[in-house]
Amino acid sequence: MMESINKIIGWMPALIQSTGVTLALSVTSVAAALVFAVFLALGKISRNAVISKICGGYIFFFRGTPLLMQLFFIYYTMPQLVPALNIQSRFFAAWLAFTLNVAAYLAEIIRAAIQSIDKGQMEAARALGLTRSQAMRLVIIPQAYRRMIPPICNEFVMVLKDTSLVSIIALTDLTYQTKIIASNKASALVYIPAMLIYLVITGVFTFIFNRLEKKLSIYE
Amino acid sequence: MSIIKTENVCKSFGTVEVLKNINLTVEPGEVVVIIGPSGAGKSTYLRSLNRLEKNTSGKIWIDDILMEDRVNGKNLVKMNSKERAEILLEMGMVFQRFNLFPHKTALQNVMLAPMNVKGVSEKDARAKATELLERVGLGDKLDSYPSKLSGGQQQRVAIARALAMDPKIMLFDEPTSALDPELVGDVLNVMKQLAEDGMTMLVVTHEMGFAREVADRVIFMYDGVILEEGAPEEIFTNPKHERTRQFLQSVL
Repeated sequence: MMESINKIIGWMPALIQSTGVTLALSVTSVAAALVFAVFLALGKISRNAVISKICGGYIFFFRGTPLLMQLFFIYYTMPQLVPALNIQSRFFAAWLAFTLNVAAYLAEIIRAAIQSIDKGQMEAARALGLTRSQAMRLVIIPQAYRRMIPPICNEFVMVLKDTSLVSIIALTDLTYQTKIIASNKASALVYIPAMLIYLVITGVFTFIFNRLEKKLSIYE
Repeated sequence: MSIIKTENVCKSFGTVEVLKNINLTVEPGEVVVIIGPSGAGKSTYLRSLNRLEKNTSGKIWIDDILMEDRVNGKNLVKMNSKERAEILLEMGMVFQRFNLFPHKTALQNVMLAPMNVKGVSEKDARAKATELLERVGLGDKLDSYPSKLSGGQQQRVAIARALAMDPKIMLFDEPTSALDPELVGDVLNVMKQLAEDGMTMLVVTHEMGFAREVADRVIFMYDGVILEEGAPEEIFTNPKHERTRQFLQSVL
């Protein structure tokens, strides 16, 4: 028992280092995806049919194909099609795949939250002379924020775990590092601290999001 | 010189005609109350005046300016959006369900449009909002969120919010229908005060007492047409139309 614990402690520096990659990948790709998703969502509910179709098509594609394949596509297929698009950095390839994919899911969350706001809010804003975009910015979206938090939190936790897929292109995230240790040291014990690390991170983020949700609901 | 004039306004939802050739003229300062059974097209008509509904055909003048001349749903009046927005600002609207902005306090609800539409400074907007909220009897609720206010208080905030844009016309779409009976009086009193101050008002309501006391003219709508109109005394004591009589019997 003691021996096992000592082994695990010995692996911790490498595990924690690779956790940095997992965290950096999830946080930066979700952050970028969030910005992109706002445009996608507004595009999809736009009254301009062309913009709406393009955004809808994008969302359909990225939600309708496996993330793993999208990752392969960006890292392997794209360079073969267009040599100029050869992405050297594994991290960047993974980041791009996650950003593009997660944006599609977040866009649907944002769209649903915006459309869940009572129609009377837009009517009242318009009757007061606000333009459609002012009404969106000042009235609809601030109310939609709070409704977005729980599903976005959910999505973020999923992404955090899904980043383990990047081990497939040999990016040294927590999962890949764990597998390396497991095969080099011939010990499956390493999965225990690895899973605990995932659990701690998702726990911390869930806590933060809950606080945020409470803070934004003061008016209810 | 009329402040609102509509000519042959028609509106269909699919094959259902909800407004059939509505002709109405409202003079400045007049209080016109529209009554009638539900489904008569009262709210639709009111909402079509400030373009919350798009008519199928007909003409609408606001303050003697032709705003709409629709044929098959298409507006033939060419007007840039700024001009149109300015005319629409002459009308304030109060909704059945209040539609206050729940993420803003009473004060912020009233300040929002003046600051963002008219570019009024925050200081001036606050002063005016405070004054208006005091006028509707809510001077002690400035910083309350709508969820902390009763229905009657919310509706009075909504009235103050509409008044903050200095409209020449106030449209009321069943302003007391969603209220508990004991809260109706406060809202009606504010409206009565407004009428006494000379505001032009178009009110869709089921409050016959209010219609009788405050209206200059009562319109009875039935099945998408104006069946009868006249002074309140006339309509209430001596309705000409059988439908009007039936309706009044059922509500009085």
